[in-house]
Amino acid sequence: MAYIEVTDLKKSYGEVQAVKGVSFTVKKGEIFTIIGPNGAGKTTTLEMMEGLISPDDGKIVIDGLTWEENGNDIRQMIGVQPQTSALLDLLTVDENLDLFASFFPKNRPVEEILSIVNLTDHRKKQVKKLSGGQKQRLAIGLAMISDPDIIFLDEPTTGLDPQARRNIWDIIIALKELGKTTILTTHYMEEAEKLSDRVCIIDQGSIIALDPPHTLIEKLSTEREIKIVFTTLEEASQAMGIIKDTVDIQAKQDGNAIVFTCKNVEDALYEIVRFTRNRNLKINQIAIKDYSLEDVFLSYTGKEWRD
Amino acid sequence: MDKFRQFRKMFAAHWKMTFREKQAWFWSIFFPVILMVIFMIIFGGEDDNDFSAKIAIVEEESTEATNLLKTGLKMIPVLEIVSDEPETVAQAEEMVKEKEIDAAVILPGEEGTEIRVIINTENEQGVTTQAVYGILSNYVQQMNFQLAGVLPTYSLKTESISAGENPLKFTDFILTGMIALGLSQGGLFGMANQVDLRRKGVIKRLRMTPANMGLFGLSDMLMRMIFALFQLSLLSVIGVVFFDVTLHIHFLSLFMVFIIGALAFNAIGYFLSSFSKTIEAYMGMANIISFLMLFLSGVMFPIETMPEWIQPLSHMLPLTYFVEGIRTSMVYESFYADWLGIGNIILWGIVTFILGSLFYKRKSIVADR
Repeated sequence: MAYIEVTDLKKSYGEVQAVKGVSFTVKKGEIFTIIGPNGAGKTTTLEMMEGLISPDDGKIVIDGLTWEENGNDIRQMIGVQPQTSALLDLLTVDENLDLFASFFPKNRPVEEILSIVNLTDHRKKQVKKLSGGQKQRLAIGLAMISDPDIIFLDEPTTGLDPQARRNIWDIIIALKELGKTTILTTHYMEEAEKLSDRVCIIDQGSIIALDPPHTLIEKLSTEREIKIVFTTLEEASQAMGIIKDTVDIQAKQDGNAIVFTCKNVEDALYEIVRFTRNRNLKINQIAIKDYSLEDVFLSYTGKEWRD
Repeated sequence: MDKFRQFRKMFAAHWKMTFREKQAWFWSIFFPVILMVIFMIIFGGEDDNDFSAKIAIVEEESTEATNLLKTGLKMIPVLEIVSDEPETVAQAEEMVKEKEIDAAVILPGEEGTEIRVIINTENEQGVTTQAVYGILSNYVQQMNFQLAGVLPTYSLKTESISAGENPLKFTDFILTGMIALGLSQGGLFGMANQVDLRRKGVIKRLRMTPANMGLFGLSDMLMRMIFALFQLSLLSVIGVVFFDVTLHIHFLSLFMVFIIGALAFNAIGYFLSSFSKTIEAYMGMANIISFLMLFLSGVMFPIETMPEWIQPLSHMLPLTYFVEGIRTSMVYESFYADWLGIGNIILWGIVTFILGSLFYKRKSIVADR
């Protein structure tokens, strides 16, 4: 049964239609990721779900409640980490958590939050002295202070270095283990692929695909790209000539490598290796490329994905 | 939900943020204190009988008449005659040029009747020069009367009175003006934090929680009031201890004027913050307004001394009445009952608060889009 139900959501800013009739459902306890390029309508969709802006049209139902009738009840149920970390810079980590705790009737102990977001050692530091990653972790901590069932994370890793990004991923995984429902937006495909139970790809205000990441990739194609690297350019050219003439595979040469796509990887590799063995050609490296969400995006929109 | 707990935490947060913000300290405490001390030193020094002018006398020719004039001049207590008298007019002119003396008096020779006074052009409009002119022309007139054997029929006696029972010193006037100015600046500049919180998305962030935004504003206001009270006390103590200011306070009146004024200037600051995208823009506007009011609202000199065409503008500004109110309550020990003036302050407060709220409301819907 759907925990959150979004139906035909629309929002315009003047002439610009930011969200054009978006519908989806979110199950309890899942990590649901909305992904799309900048300006795709992710944050607008999220802010409508958070009750921060009203939709022009459409409906949002959260655990049977609506913003129009049960705004205060929903606010108790959700925790939000906005895109800008939006913290009180002159207060310490502890003081920020303490202030936010006073807004809610039920709280998760500050100690626990600090431990989940790994800020125990920095609790007495003023926010302005924290690094970008630490600030984002605190922002997630603030979203968790009321021990909400649903947590909205709006691009929590944007602008962070790889290590800081991985730290945030650990927290998101920990939230799932705690049974929380997480709605995440990101424009990092890798993040969506690694963390999400389901991914909703949005472009220009509309949903272009919605499924678990592996299903999206599987749906894309059953063909795989194989790259065989030879030790020398001559060997690669020789192999290319023979393959073209004898094996039924569309291949192209890329330096001392040949690249081709095929449906049956196992058979194709067997044939090629047998072939090269017989002719004494030495293979240096074999790579089978996995399709990613980036390829999914490319196939649906015809546009290259850019982080 | 425990609203009191929420209010207490919000108040503590505002308190800590204000005390950790160096700009708040500078604009609300140090700046008014420095400004007051400078103005007190500049304008407060020429009080009572402290005036004296340094002059040199040049006798082109020593005669009985010039000796008489010279003796007469030496008897004027506020004129300090330099001991090493210049022998020539050229020497005297040099001394005036070098500003060693305020003026040189050239006494006429045997045949002459003209007493010449040489002053430095730079100081022509200065208070000292004007006073020296007045004293000397009075002196020449007295000498003429004596020579003609005439006794003046009328004489002039001046008395000064002030609005209250207690005599008003100029330093009292300046101090109360500076206190009013300082409190108004506290309100005008105090919303810098608000602009910063909005710029960083904190206000938007709070609206995503069940936090009571009314309590958030109220706790901020209470903190400002306490800060303003501290400012008022500090400036008063400095005035009394270091500048010999005498305060006669009507506490009820002061309380009323303080609350109304502080709220109104905070509302004006709130209004400015509502359409300022950056702290720099906000500070710029607050500075212009504060600077204009400093000169137009009778902080340092009475409005009546300003050109007539500018006076209606002064009568529209809230600081004009706030200064009057503070002065009446702190120096004259009277109840400030200029209801039109109080109405003006309240009107400014209400109008700017409503406009500020409307701007904030309009912006919050389309924030950051």
